[in-house]
Parts: sequence; C-alpha cells; structure tokens
Amino acid sequence: MTISRREMIQQTAAAAAALPLVRALPPLAPVPPKFFTAAEFALVDEMSDMIIPTDQQSAGARAAGCATYIDARLAEAFEKDEPQHWRAGIKAVEALSQEMHGKPFMASTPDQRLALLTRIAVAESDPKTDAEKFFRQIKGATIRAYYTSKIGIHDDQQYKGNVIQPGDYAGYDAT
Amino acid sequence: MTLIRFRASQVQDADLSVTYDAVVVGSGAAGGMAAHVLTSQGMKVLLLEAGKKIDINAELRSMEWPYDHPRRGEAPPGYHAIRFNEYNVRKPPYAKGSAFKHVFSYVGGWGGSDYVKNILVDEKDHPYTGTKYAWVRARLLGGKTNIWGRLALRLSDYDFKGKTHDGYGEDWPISYADLEPYYDKVDLYLGISGHKENLPHLPDSLFQRPNKLTASEVKLRKSLAGMGRTLTPYRAGVTTDGVKNKYRSKCFGRGACGRRPGGCDIHAAFDSPTGLIYPAMDTGNLTLRTNSIAHEVLVDPNTGKARGVSFVDSQNHRTYEAKAKVVILAASTLESARLLLLSKSRAYPNGIGNSSGHVGHNFCEHVMGPGVTGLVKEMVGAPPTLDDGKPGGFYVPRFRNLQDKQPGFIRGYGFEGGSGFSIFPDSAWDTPGFGGQFKKSVREHAGAFISMGGFGEVLARYENYVDLDPVEKDAWGIPVLRFNYQFGDNEKKMCEDMANAGKEMFEAAGIEVVGVDKNILTEGWSIHELGTARMGTDPKTSVLNQFQQSHDVKNLLVVDGSSHVSASCQNPTWTIMALAWRSCEHLADEFKRGNV
Repeated sequence: MTISRREMIQQTAAAAAALPLVRALPPLAPVPPKFFTAAEFALVDEMSDMIIPTDQQSAGARAAGCATYIDARLAEAFEKDEPQHWRAGIKAVEALSQEMHGKPFMASTPDQRLALLTRIAVAESDPKTDAEKFFRQIKGATIRAYYTSKIGIHDDQQYKGNVIQPGDYAGYDAT
Repeated sequence: MTLIRFRASQVQDADLSVTYDAVVVGSGAAGGMAAHVLTSQGMKVLLLEAGKKIDINAELRSMEWPYDHPRRGEAPPGYHAIRFNEYNVRKPPYAKGSAFKHVFSYVGGWGGSDYVKNILVDEKDHPYTGTKYAWVRARLLGGKTNIWGRLALRLSDYDFKGKTHDGYGEDWPISYADLEPYYDKVDLYLGISGHKENLPHLPDSLFQRPNKLTASEVKLRKSLAGMGRTLTPYRAGVTTDGVKNKYRSKCFGRGACGRRPGGCDIHAAFDSPTGLIYPAMDTGNLTLRTNSIAHEVLVDPNTGKARGVSFVDSQNHRTYEAKAKVVILAASTLESARLLLLSKSRAYPNGIGNSSGHVGHNFCEHVMGPGVTGLVKEMVGAPPTLDDGKPGGFYVPRFRNLQDKQPGFIRGYGFEGGSGFSIFPDSAWDTPGFGGQFKKSVREHAGAFISMGGFGEVLARYENYVDLDPVEKDAWGIPVLRFNYQFGDNEKKMCEDMANAGKEMFEAAGIEVVGVDKNILTEGWSIHELGTARMGTDPKTSVLNQFQQSHDVKNLLVVDGSSHVSASCQNPTWTIMALAWRSCEHLADEFKRGNV
C-alpha cells in the first residue's frame, strides 16, 4: 500500500466519521477488493469499524484500512480453507440478518446491525454457530490489522517506543 | 549521533591443501569463541559453518514499523511454523508430507516471522525422528546467536556441585572458582548489562549499566525482597556502554529485541559474527568457509588421532576434506553429538570419542510453560510510557532447594518476565466485546499487565538420549538424529510448583492474578539443549575431560553445550562461552608445548 493511498483512506474516513452515523456508509474500498466481492468487502469494512470504531482518541478500523489489509492477506492465502471460512461466515451473517430483520446486513439500520453484532458476540468465549465463529474471526483479524496500523500504534496507543534513546534509558532503577 | 556502519570482513577462500592448526565446526557462541581465542594465540584456524552467510542487517531491519511491511512482519504465503499442537499430536519428522513450501520450528510463528525466514532451518531439509521434540535450529554464520534471547547468566557451585548438594547426578569436574576468571573475560570482551545482587546462587557479572524497570516491576521487586527473593533487571548479553569492537554499537534502547524473535541490526546484543568471528578474521589467522556441512571427523588409523573433517558443500553437494592438527566441534549440543556418532571407524566403531557409550546420553535442558499474568490496578489508565526500549524485562532467580528442601522435586527454576506498554497491546486478544467500550478498555489496560514464565532444570538422565536414525536422512544424505527423550516426574512436580509460586508472588505484591498457565511446553521449547557429551573425571561415564577434550582422542574437543554435566536452571550461553574460552586457552598452551 502506498502512502498516498493510505492517506486517502484516512481522509475519506475522517470525512465519513464527521457525519452522524444514521445511514449506511458507502463502501470505501478505493480499488476493487482482491478477494472479497464488493458486497462482502462492504460488510467486513462496516463490521470491523463497529468492532473498533472512531472515538475521541483516534479513528477506527475503517480509517486504518483494516478491511483492505484483511482482503489482501486472504487473496494470497496459501491455505485455501481460510478464505472459504470467511466467505461462509459472511453468508451466515447475511442469513442471520434475514432472519432477524428481513434484509441484508448492509441494508439494515445501524440499530439492527448493532443488534446482530451483539447477538453473535455474546458467545465469544465459546462460539457455536457459524455466525458466532465469524465474529471471533473478524474480531481477531481486526485487532491484528488495527493495532499494527499507523492509526492504531500512534494515534490510539500513542506508543512511545521504537525510538533511539541516546542518553539514559526510560524507566526506573532497581534500588 | 551516528550508529556504527561497517562492512563485514570478506569471506576468504579456504585453502584445503594445507593442514590447519585447528578446524572448528560451527560458528555460534562456542565455535566463535574457539576461533577468537585460538587465533588470538596465533593459531591458524579454519572455521566451517554448515549454513550460509547472509546480509543479516537487511534481514533484521530492527526499526521497521509493522505498517511499513506488506504483511506486518509475517512471512509470505507458503511459509509455515509448527504449532504447539502439531508438536504434540504428530510425530517427527514434522515437515514430512507437508503441503507448505517451507516449514519452520515454532519460533517462525512468533511476531515478525518474515525476519527469521532465512535464519531458521527449513524443517523439510532437516528432518529428525523419534519422540516429540521442538528442535529450533539456525544454520547461518553465527547460528542461533543471531536471534538468541540475550539472557546472560552465570552458574554457581549450586550447579557445578549439584550432586554434593543433593546427591543427584554428577558433579562437574570444575568449580565456580575455575570458571570465574573466564566469565569475567567474557563480560569484559563482549559486554553485559545488569544490576548487582550479591546472590551466591546467581553470581554477579562485571556489569555495564542495567536496563530499567517499569513501575510494576519495581512494585514486585519490593514485595519479593520482603520474601527473601529477588527481581533483577534482565541480565542481557548486550553492551549498554559499548565495547572496543568496530563491528558493534552500544545499545540505544530501541526495543525491537522484544517484539521480534530476536536479532539486533546494530549488534549491541552479542552475536558471534560481530562479537567474535570478524575480530578473529582481522588477526589474519582465521579462514572461514560457509555452506560446509561437516559429517565425519577423520581419523589417522596409525595414531588414532583426529586428522581433520569431511564435509559436504551445501550448494554443490560435493565432499571435501579439511586437514587439521586439532578438531574442535562446536556444532550445537545435538549436532555435535550427531557428528561424533556419525564418525565411525575401525578404531571407533561406536563413533569417535564414544568408548564410554555416553555420547548422545544425559541429554538435558530447561522445562518451561507454567507462568502467571497479573493486572497492576494502579496502572490502569496510566498514560503511555516507553517501557519496551530494552533487551528484556526482568529475571527472578532460583529460590527453591537452596537452603530449603522441597518435598516434591530437587533443583530449581527461575522466572523471566516483562510488563508495561509495548508496540502491540496483547491484552486486546482477551478483552471481551466490541465497540467503543472495547477500544477504551484495551487502551486503558495496555500498560497494566505483568507476566512471567518459569525455566526449570531438567535432570540429566542416561535414559534421555539421541542416536542416529537407521533410515532417515537429511537433504544431503546424512543420517539424522532420532530422539528418545521426555520429561520425567521431577520436571512435572517442579512445573506444578512454578505455577503456584508465581501466583503466590503476584498475590503477595497486591497484583491481581488474571491468568495462571499450568501447561508444560513441548520438550525442546527452551532452546537450551545440553549434555550429550558431558565432561567428567571418569572416562567410563563421561566423554570429555574438564578442558572439553575427548578422553579417547586427545586432539578432539567439543566446546559447546553438549559438554555440560547438568542443565542448571540458568540460561547457558554465557557459560558455553566461558568454558570454551578456558578450554581453548588451555589447548593453545598445550599446542605450543607440543602436547596435543
């Protein structure tokens, strides 16, 4: 990913974040996804941003390009089970959305999406259904992508390390 | 401020027509030290390394940010690291039949696997058989010192005289007083960082300035002091004040050592090439040949002495002979044992130096797995601080079976630990839920955790051994090792105590225990394998004398961890180097007198 593309995602996301979150945001993939369909990408992008949203401290998973990163890894995955698990998981989420709200995930209201995500997150420690397993999968991938991103490391965590300490080292003496 | 930039000494063409004073097999901590000591004494040395020479700085890229790497530090598709479950469910060879293009030991699965993909061996080319074992190998100039964990500890007479203390096993043929001057030499030549504690069971080194502690570690240190125990800053084989060596910089606390499998691209952390081998090459007395897989120690049938080494070039698969007056094995504990066993001749039908039948036996190491994680409540919500800019966190030295006598087990264990903020908030994995609350919770707790895990002494037992597999061969047609090795009852009891003691220590310090791990990791996990060609005074029950010289073949030495009589619970690298220094100094003296 080039810097300019990353910045573009950030700027787009910052603009989006400024809007009240009452309607579905358009998919923000700047280029066609490599593995996901456009619809799948929109769902992954939205759900990752619900898992790690923008708050007062920092922008969220969408701005950090988490879905784009996940898509790129799945597109080149050596083990083909993993991408297929994602695809099956998304199908399970869509089926649950139909069951709960009678429409696709991205066509439902923010409240309805939140209701769905809450439902599949309940069994996080011991997921049973495909949709519940998908929550674990997308949450893990979002965590990995977000906290290794520029936004995650610098804006959110405000990480102080990976710097040269020319003088005294930071910390406390063993006295 | 400028960091040191250098060009590594060029690899010399090895002239194989001459007879060297010594040929050294292996270029890790032991082989590097042998080359350093012998060349500084004027001996002409040929150093054979089975692996390649790579541009290590380009490999490590210590300060690269995760987001500047296309896979955030992960290796490309088709690379696979063996997982804990695979080690336990399957039997070696673990890579056999694997669909992956390259298979690595578990270390290749740590964060930053892309940075070690050219350092670790590909298990597909290097199979082994027998009982389950997580064998971690690095074949390249410098071996595992390129990525070692840096904890640099001394042993004491509690270790060297363990049998005298508790009746088990064998005493070493040396005492602490014999080795102390050589520990001092290693400290001064290579640099070590630490804090003096005056503990009889963990002697202090000649330390450069220590790493700092976090607030949580200071809290635990104070509480442990009240229990008569110690938390000390990680004793790192890292120069924090600098050493006289143009290939190495002092440590600037950049911190990549903790978030990757290891490695330091300014070489403040000791590694054998910059610390020992390049300076040895600068004497003009060292010839280096990489890609040279030794598979037999050659014997002069008239004298019974070693006359050199036969090796295969890993690239062209041709076999060559290196001739030398002394042969020094430093190929690692298991590879040196393999080489001894491979060197069968009419004079030595069970393998060279193996009249005792002890080669490959008394195999020991450290057991690990049990540990504890705690939450330091007053650190929740604390503003981020620079906590990971150092080579390691802390060490809690052994406290069991020193003055006391535990009912369930003999010997002891220490803890390695860390705390505070790091580049990745690991607690995110265990933080439930999602959304704003999840994100806030991860942020507030990022610096509030402290954890530590035990490293315990595995008893040296004759029944734990490696031998040669009668069928399986490596990619160069060389018979491979077969493991007959497993932890015993003493290790299991000790591990139960580790978990309980860790929990008690955190609770006593007012640290909320949030996780206790009781599982024992697969044999081999500590990467501290030792003892397959032990030293001793009796040629019937030991392979080497106190100068790591074969009882059977006077001009054959084995200077790596295979010589250790017991594992102790302290990490072995510093002891390996102090022993090699002592033995090679002795060898050089004897060589000059014509006694070898």
